[in-house]
Amino acid sequence: MAVSKQRVGMAPAGAPLAAEAPTPLAPAGAPPAVGRKGRSEFVYFAFRNWKFVFGLCVVLGFLALAIFGPMFTAHKPLDFAGPTDARPSHAYWFGTTSYGQDVYSQFVYGLRSAFLVGAVGGGIAWLLGAGIGFTAGYRSGWLDDVLSMLTNVVLVIPTLAILIIVAAYLHVHSYATEAILVGLTSWPWAARAVRAQTFSLKTRDFVDIARLSGRKTRQIIVTEIAPNMSSYLLMMFILLFGGAILIGASLDFLGLGPATSVSLGLMMNNAYAASALLLGSWWWFLPPGIGIIGIVGAFYVMNVGLDEIFNPKLREL
Amino acid sequence: MRIRPWATATAAAAFTAGLVALFVLTAAGGAGASGVSYPRSQTLYMSGNQWSPNNDLNPAKTWDYVTGLVGFAYETPFRYDPLKDTFRPWLASAGKWVDKTTYVMTVRKGVKWSDGKPMTVKDFAYSFNILKLKTHPQHPFWADTGLKSMKVKGNTLVFKFGAKPGYQQFDFYRFNVAIVPQHVFKQYSKTDLTTGNLKLPIVGTGPYLYKSGYGATSPALYWQKNPKWWAIKALHVQVGPKYIVDLKNGTNAAALENFQAGNIDLFNNFAPKKAITGKAKTYYSKAPYHLAANTTWLFPNTTRKPLNDVKFRLALADSINVGQIIAKSYQGLVKKASPTGLLPIWNKWINKQVVSKYGFSYNVAKAKSILKKAGYKLGSDGYVRNKDGSTINLTLAVPNGWSDWMTATQVIAQSAKQVGIKITPSFPEYGTLTDDRGHGNFDMVLGNDRQYSNTPWTYYQYIYQLPILSNQTNVNYERFKDTKAWNLTKGLDKIASTNTKAYKAQMTKLETTFLKNLPVIPLWYNGMWAMFNTSHWTNWPSNSGNRHFTTASWRNYWQMTSIDMLTHLKPVK
Amino acid sequence: MIRYLARKLLIYLVTFFVAVTIDWAIPRSMPGNPIEQLLARMHAQPESQRVLTSYYSKAFGFDVPLWKQYLNFWVALFHGDLGVSIANFPTPVWELIRGAFPYTLALLVPAILLSFWAGNKVGALAARRKGLDNTVLPVSYVLTATPQMWLGIMLAWVFAITLGYFPVSGAYGLTLQPAWSFGFVGSFLHHWVLPFLALFLVSFGGWAIGMRNMIIYELEADYSNYLAALGAPTKLVRKYAYRNALLPQITGLALALGAVVAGAIVVEIVFSYPGLGTLTLNALQNRDYFLIQGIFLFLIMGVLIANLVIDIAYVFIDPRTRVGMQGGS
Repeated sequence: MAVSKQRVGMAPAGAPLAAEAPTPLAPAGAPPAVGRKGRSEFVYFAFRNWKFVFGLCVVLGFLALAIFGPMFTAHKPLDFAGPTDARPSHAYWFGTTSYGQDVYSQFVYGLRSAFLVGAVGGGIAWLLGAGIGFTAGYRSGWLDDVLSMLTNVVLVIPTLAILIIVAAYLHVHSYATEAILVGLTSWPWAARAVRAQTFSLKTRDFVDIARLSGRKTRQIIVTEIAPNMSSYLLMMFILLFGGAILIGASLDFLGLGPATSVSLGLMMNNAYAASALLLGSWWWFLPPGIGIIGIVGAFYVMNVGLDEIFNPKLREL
Repeated sequence: MRIRPWATATAAAAFTAGLVALFVLTAAGGAGASGVSYPRSQTLYMSGNQWSPNNDLNPAKTWDYVTGLVGFAYETPFRYDPLKDTFRPWLASAGKWVDKTTYVMTVRKGVKWSDGKPMTVKDFAYSFNILKLKTHPQHPFWADTGLKSMKVKGNTLVFKFGAKPGYQQFDFYRFNVAIVPQHVFKQYSKTDLTTGNLKLPIVGTGPYLYKSGYGATSPALYWQKNPKWWAIKALHVQVGPKYIVDLKNGTNAAALENFQAGNIDLFNNFAPKKAITGKAKTYYSKAPYHLAANTTWLFPNTTRKPLNDVKFRLALADSINVGQIIAKSYQGLVKKASPTGLLPIWNKWINKQVVSKYGFSYNVAKAKSILKKAGYKLGSDGYVRNKDGSTINLTLAVPNGWSDWMTATQVIAQSAKQVGIKITPSFPEYGTLTDDRGHGNFDMVLGNDRQYSNTPWTYYQYIYQLPILSNQTNVNYERFKDTKAWNLTKGLDKIASTNTKAYKAQMTKLETTFLKNLPVIPLWYNGMWAMFNTSHWTNWPSNSGNRHFTTASWRNYWQMTSIDMLTHLKPVK
Repeated sequence: MIRYLARKLLIYLVTFFVAVTIDWAIPRSMPGNPIEQLLARMHAQPESQRVLTSYYSKAFGFDVPLWKQYLNFWVALFHGDLGVSIANFPTPVWELIRGAFPYTLALLVPAILLSFWAGNKVGALAARRKGLDNTVLPVSYVLTATPQMWLGIMLAWVFAITLGYFPVSGAYGLTLQPAWSFGFVGSFLHHWVLPFLALFLVSFGGWAIGMRNMIIYELEADYSNYLAALGAPTKLVRKYAYRNALLPQITGLALALGAVVAGAIVVEIVFSYPGLGTLTLNALQNRDYFLIQGIFLFLIMGVLIANLVIDIAYVFIDPRTRVGMQGGS
């Protein structure tokens, strides 16, 4: 982007990256600044940082629930196993839907889809964002212009529009396809950030030396630039992971996700459509929201923790 | 330039203030506002028509016109009471078959259009004559009933038919053709009359006058009582509410909230059973709470293997646990359909012996044995195979977002599994589904397009109509080629309902061939969803009293007995 | 500066061109013919079906080759014509959008600006203040991690259904008609609070976190240390830090717009708020592709214009950018 070129060079020394792409919302969280620390130091600080530890524990807890929870369900999520609209009880831990489906079972299976959409969607967005960002930032020139343009276009095109077409076309629509679509559309902010970061790194001496020694662009990116941004890339993945879960939930809530299986967003959609809110069936609409906030929030808290680990300046006084 | 924190705040405030002002101006200008608010005790609020854009004033487009256009403004020669199966003279003061092929309709005297001009036999003749246009949606009135001519004779219209009049269809049009004012409608072109949306003002004869709300962006349609309605003097009836506000709601949930808060009196949306509590009343005080409005059918594609095999269809019908659908998808709000698929209002035409002999019901063992006898063997995965040994996997498609049907398909798939029939629910987009359904690119779909009418003929036509076109847009989705059944259907049309014996005999034949071949599988009766809030209005229709009226504010129901619901309503003091 | 703006403008124009082209393709790449869908709802005669098909083909401009449809689309666009809605035939798409847009605007603009303002203020206050930080930060994280629709559902459940303070749905009372009256404006504001809060709170959390982190960076920057060493009062140092930190936040605002608009769509649906979001849902449910196309085009334009405005504003706000562009630095 033209602006970024102008801006990066002039940004205050402390926060070149933060200045470039502070995306508190889209998808979430302010990208952290880069820091370079040794591995052992990382581990030392990591496990002394309560935010990181707390976030990690919550995420792992939900992950465990997603993996093992379905083993402890008496009913399949879509089975009409129980009485309709029953409160939480010993038999149905989270109660039942107004169709008599087990909310707990839907919840744990829904967590699975959330992690799937997060991992695959976030992963694809991460790959695209990093790839496009590195290339655009390192190569500059017309390639940069084209990639920046692409970034801009994807940024403004409503993801919904694309998903509607896909939903209409694909007769077999699964969470994997949804995740891929989320991934394909949620990378632009990451690409912008990586591009700016690369842009500032490539003028550093060690990159110049590598270039003078005749190494190929891809090699330089992989061996020189990327390692210097590893902490940044890790945090970017976490943010994209959480963001993908949120976007996927919105799509499912709108009824644009796959309807033959279970997700947290679809649970909200069903509960809303069945007027659970008005009819007081709180056990139906509370769990999916708590699940999403739990996972995504924990990721974000973990991210702050990481930020503090990599950037001593941010640590609590 | 420096950034001043207060500048952000001021900018935010100024921007907001500006936009709010802009908003109010736009909103006020856009909706054609008149600051009128209606006195609550004299106003009936109703919802259930929320999907329509409120911008069609053409009574010919019976699927699209603004609700109340026919019933409130325009009226029909007769009204039909489906619960008592009787016709009532309305704008026509009388009508009868003077011989087997001649029908005479007498136009009521003393009826005035809302612009003050008298309604005459000429308006009647005009209204029936426009149906001669081939593009008119009600053209079958001339094309299919055997009608040869229509003549004005004094104050009457004389309809002369060929040898075999289509009594059933003619009866249908007697209460479905709106009588429109010739002096207003003559301004319209042929295209306008058949496909246009027409213009304001609405000049009608009915109990209400259009007040405001026309337009796709309007939140509601507003009607005001017509103090000069002919029926006040002629029949000594009067509608209760002085104003009617017909709300266009975004979602069922929003409508339900307002209903619960007492803002909506007549609620014709679907709501879960839990909502029927307190001041919310329904036609029946216990399950199924609502009248049955239409039948939900399962359409198998009868051109595909194995659904082209009647034995397989019979086994499939036996495998579906409709009781489970009723209990889970609807919490008891609907009733199981008769195996004939005919609505309860047609009970007297259903031959119970035929049903008990050929009818189906949920029976896993029977379904299994039918399949076995027919040569469908079980595979190692527990699912039956085609006779040639190939695997069977049938998709059952319903539109995405139709949540009650979506859960119903899950039940169907789960119960068919017990018999060994593999069914995969599929929820394509509505457009995709109608496209696939029309062109026969499907295994199975659900459908419930046909509503109440005076005759089961409309149901059999829906099932059997021939020929099969490349795109079947609204009948015979299952593509069932049964000339004999279609001839029986056409024959039914030609028997007057008063000829009870012949009619019953024909019905027996149709029911028998239907149950033997089961081209479509009737599942349950969808309800005429209606909840009444008794906070402001009372004396609603009810099974227990003598107010047996249709409860829907939907199109084509006002000229049945929904208008009687309004004439019986009393304000709560 | 002119060169910079021209370059910016060019980028936006190209983006606009591509976005509009994709948008144009939406209804045309959908499976199922919209006209057949319209006809499927009707109980039309074969004869009238034939007539209607050609009538609708004309109305939707399908009777010309594809390249011409594309050209016509651009021509119509410059005349402010977004086509005709399928489900609301023959209402122009523009009329539907015009009816809904004010409501969305009334939610979005205050939510964006106020959350930006309040989030930055609170975030700045919280930075490097342990007690405040330990409350603001976790709350903000929970808020940004909350799906807007679920927050909306929660607010509706607590404040509308349980406590009865606010209505759950609509933009004004059913018994009212939009008008310039106290009754209507009061009812409008009453209905506006919860959906506004749902949007405001989620965005607020994001801005607060962003600002808090940014302030910490700024406070650690050399100039801050220098100022502090010179004996400048902490208040002054923080003031400078805030000013510097605000700039990247404004860039973030541009990036966040798309997400906020998406949030508004789901929040409107939860509250049945008659804005563009609800219009989108109805269009989705009716598969009214021309309306969807129109709404998205409208949103794309809105986001692009807002981005452009922010870019231009940035030039005036950030002195360094201006210097940079004049070749100084």
